[in-house]
Amino acid sequence: MDVIQEIIDKSHKADMNDLERYSKVLKAKLEIMLAELLEECSDINGAMVSSTDGLAWARKLQEGMDENRFSAMSSALLALSDNLVRETHQGQIRKVLLESSGGNVLILHAGKILILTVFTCENVNIGMSLAHANKTAEDISELMEQCSS
Amino acid sequence: MNMVNDKIIFTGPVGAGKTTAISSISDTPPVSTDVACSGEERAIKDTTTVAMDYSYIELDNGRRIHLYGTPGQQRFDFMWDVLTNNGLGLVLLINNNNPDPVGQMEFYLDAFADFIRKTGVVIGITQVGISDNATLADYQSKLMERQQIYPLFEIDGRSKQDVRIMIHALLAVLST
Ligand SMILES: Nc1nc2c(ncn2[C@@H]2O[C@H](COP(=O)(O)OP(=O)(O)OP(=O)(O)O)[C@@H](O)[C@H]2O)c(=O)[nH]1
Ligand SMILES: [Mg+2]
Repeated sequence: MDVIQEIIDKSHKADMNDLERYSKVLKAKLEIMLAELLEECSDINGAMVSSTDGLAWARKLQEGMDENRFSAMSSALLALSDNLVRETHQGQIRKVLLESSGGNVLILHAGKILILTVFTCENVNIGMSLAHANKTAEDISELMEQCSS
Repeated sequence: MNMVNDKIIFTGPVGAGKTTAISSISDTPPVSTDVACSGEERAIKDTTTVAMDYSYIELDNGRRIHLYGTPGQQRFDFMWDVLTNNGLGLVLLINNNNPDPVGQMEFYLDAFADFIRKTGVVIGITQVGISDNATLADYQSKLMERQQIYPLFEIDGRSKQDVRIMIHALLAVLST
């Protein structure tokens, strides 16, 4: 992944092997964070991390869900919502919340280039999921910051 | 007058100039959903459209035309139906500097075939003369071969005049 390459370039000289190892480690770390999120909050039944331009990075989703399509859709939704919030002078967007009959979808910024998308079960109290999702998004943001510093 | 229908959609591959064209013709700042590229496209461009471009223009007769641009990356193809819904017609932009630009034209004509059949299309070729990937005659003979006679222009996406001519050509096609 080219962003990871850039992060590495900034910190030290790296060859392709470093890049691959680095990208694998980062993705594995993200998957662990997603697994923990699902474990800590039973209302959440799926989560994924993707880039703001719609590429999948890590997933913890139910069988048969295509993270590549969802990544593109999350980035489109978040980008449009960003615009609406900015143009109506309501500051910086925190998250997009989709409430639907079969559950909820939360889309959150997680640092500059990543997005966290969280899926909840039906009929849950959204507060709990929100709190956990916020925390994970912050953790991811911190992780990425550590990587680039 | 049906306000809802007065909408033109710009489409075409990554880097064709859709976002540029919409911003050069519009008098107000367009809605843009460009974000930094993180994948392979990073080598070619800094930003890419992830949801849509939107703006509008007013014609001399006061008619307002809404302009929507699609993302160029294939993974956003779900936006194609969303954006073409109830549209008036299509502007297809092709970057002559891409590998196999004639093939890309065919791809988009096929992907939007239903919409084009119901409405109409004009084709704008950008970045002509930078590489010798194809000449205007190559596009034209491919269209002839497909028995699709559509208006085809060489344009600069950064030129308001060029984009304007294309939009008027499309409106002319649609009114016949
Ligand atoms: N030389 C030349 N450059 C152009 C022309 N049209 C656009 N550009 C440049 O080409 C680049 C492509 O820009 P975009 O308008 O972002 O392309 P796009 O079709 O919206 O791309 P995606 O949103 O990624 O699908 C920009 O840097 C423009 O300045 C043109 O006709 N000639
Ligand atoms: Mg664009």
